Amino acid sequence: MALPEQLRFIAALDDPRPALDWGLPQWQFAVHQARRLRLLARLAQALDAQGLLPHVPELPRRHLQAEIHLSRWRTTALQWTVERVGECLAPLGAPCLLLKGAAYLAQGLPNAPGRLPSDLDIMLPREHLQRAVELLQQAGWQELALDEHDRRYYVEWSHELPPMHHPVLSLELDVHHNILPTTRRIGVDAERLFAASRPLGGGPWSVLAPEDQVLHCAAHLFFDAEPRDRVRDLVDFVVLLRHFGLAAGFDAALVGRATQLGLLEPLSLALHFGAEWLDLALSTTLRRAQASGPRLPIVRALMRRLILPGPPGEPPPPGQGLAAVLIKARYQLDRLPLRQLVAHALRRARGRDHEAT
Amino acid sequence: MPDSSSASRTALSLREAAAPALAGALAGEGLWLDLGALRLRVRSDSAVFARQLRQVYPLFELDTGGGWTDIQVRMVRARGLRRWVAPQVFFEGDGERVFDPFPGDSPLPHFEWGTNWLVGRRMNHLLLFHAGAVERDGLALLLPAMPGSGKSTLTAALSLRGWRLLSDEFGAWDPERGGFVSVLKPVALKNESIDVIEAFAPGAPIGPRFPKTRKGTVAHLAADERAWAGRHAVAAPGAVILPRWQAGAETQLVPLAPEDVFPALAFNAFNYGVLGEVAFDAALRLARGCPAWRLVYSRLDEAVAALERVWSGLGRRGEAAAASVPMRGLA
Repeated sequence: MALPEQLRFIAALDDPRPALDWGLPQWQFAVHQARRLRLLARLAQALDAQGLLPHVPELPRRHLQAEIHLSRWRTTALQWTVERVGECLAPLGAPCLLLKGAAYLAQGLPNAPGRLPSDLDIMLPREHLQRAVELLQQAGWQELALDEHDRRYYVEWSHELPPMHHPVLSLELDVHHNILPTTRRIGVDAERLFAASRPLGGGPWSVLAPEDQVLHCAAHLFFDAEPRDRVRDLVDFVVLLRHFGLAAGFDAALVGRATQLGLLEPLSLALHFGAEWLDLALSTTLRRAQASGPRLPIVRALMRRLILPGPPGEPPPPGQGLAAVLIKARYQLDRLPLRQLVAHALRRARGRDHEAT
Repeated sequence: MPDSSSASRTALSLREAAAPALAGALAGEGLWLDLGALRLRVRSDSAVFARQLRQVYPLFELDTGGGWTDIQVRMVRARGLRRWVAPQVFFEGDGERVFDPFPGDSPLPHFEWGTNWLVGRRMNHLLLFHAGAVERDGLALLLPAMPGSGKSTLTAALSLRGWRLLSDEFGAWDPERGGFVSVLKPVALKNESIDVIEAFAPGAPIGPRFPKTRKGTVAHLAADERAWAGRHAVAAPGAVILPRWQAGAETQLVPLAPEDVFPALAFNAFNYGVLGEVAFDAALRLARGCPAWRLVYSRLDEAVAALERVWSGLGRRGEAAAASVPMRGLA
């Protein structure tokens, strides 16, 4: 139950006071590692919130100050984008969900400050997508130019539309209709997610139910093609669980919901690594859920390889490349039935040949 | 600002160091370049890069002692068959390869360009105006980059006439110190300006020419002893010059109003939006407090002489004027 050495700085996100005793070599390591894991702004914000920034030595303090600027700027851009898109989608008359960072920010959750958002993730009922895209296009949002195959890939096999961008607003807009690809062997029923969602009041926006937010965070990390260096998602998971877990009966509801949505595996993995690396305390209910996870210890071993970063600025640790390939293969097989996967790979290969000639 | 070294030399300069010592340092734990506002750790397995680096960073120390690192760069030779047929070099910034590789015989422009890109992304505690910056009498002269301004040419020319070079790319404003700091690197000269500077100062330490880069032919003017020794000094705001090179023009200095200077500073900065209010306050303070001129010129000698006349009339006045402007408030 201890942080691996390369992640020890993460304890300072909860309680930054011990960081004031760090020497320059420790700061050096923390600044570079936290930046790579996109947690440097979180560290800076944790220190700033307690008025400790002036006590940090100047060399690292400059980087913390720089990240605070960057985080404020991107967060403001995110809020502005949420406002504009909200106004644009109001006529839809359908539930519009804010996902991930935008949702944390809108609810004022403890993991909201110190983020570096680069896109806005929202989710709409599938039957409203077409109208939503029309409304967004009227407001100046444009879809990424894609060839016919890539477009079909998004529309038919993915859980989101091609990313949209705007000539004035700096963030990308990702419009989802589910939290996971719909072609997965065990899909998540989006209607259940909408049914349990909570309106934020004043505008079209809602957020996922607390249990679903926790599960989405876990699934986002452990059902992704590229979980490399993604410790920050685990940090989010732990913060969300600690926050929502204060409500009576939350743990049981969470496990029940995971079973219902087919998300026990990512929940189990997140609980496992959260407890091992980030001192997440597990109730009896959660410990049972942790143990009921993947039967293959190899998935845990591969994930450990992938998620634990090596020293900053160095090539990835040995075995990480292979682990990445295996996890990606597993992800693709789960995401696309083999027949579709082969067809997709062939199209891609042929496309690349065309480019080469 | 890195404080781990003083102006006095403690180690061999790259020019003095034996070539194998430099190549060995780059291939091993790395070389630390102190640019003033930041310390850069650079590693490379390319002997070509070691040679080129030495030519345009001759006065920088062979510092292999570790210590604080703000940015890590590696110039890595691409592997595989290509290595023998058409060698390439990757720029790796803080462990990430975000750019396509460069031909193996021209790693230096790639290093310079990539490093500037990293500085622009990382050093958000500074307001980074896109401008040349030089100093004389403790006061900074800022040359914002306007299209066709030839800011690098003019910056290079001034540095060859006794002005202290801070940077040809970043007018780096430190909000905490209320002054400009160095991001000291060689001046990147492009196309005709290479010949112009060679004619202006025969024998100036200009490195190899790299034809066929993204920006045409590029060569680098090494920073001099004054720039190197003064790289940790802070320069108070002095004046702003908006240069415009115009074929055949007589040298002219036209005074500018603050409302002309503000957009030239703010909307030319790399991270004006990121710094928000801090950036607005700084740009406003500089636009209001610094005397500013548009400089139209065709002959570099005359342009430099005109700026020197302006400076002798400026004295400590510029600083006093800048200091009297309140940090806040539009009223």
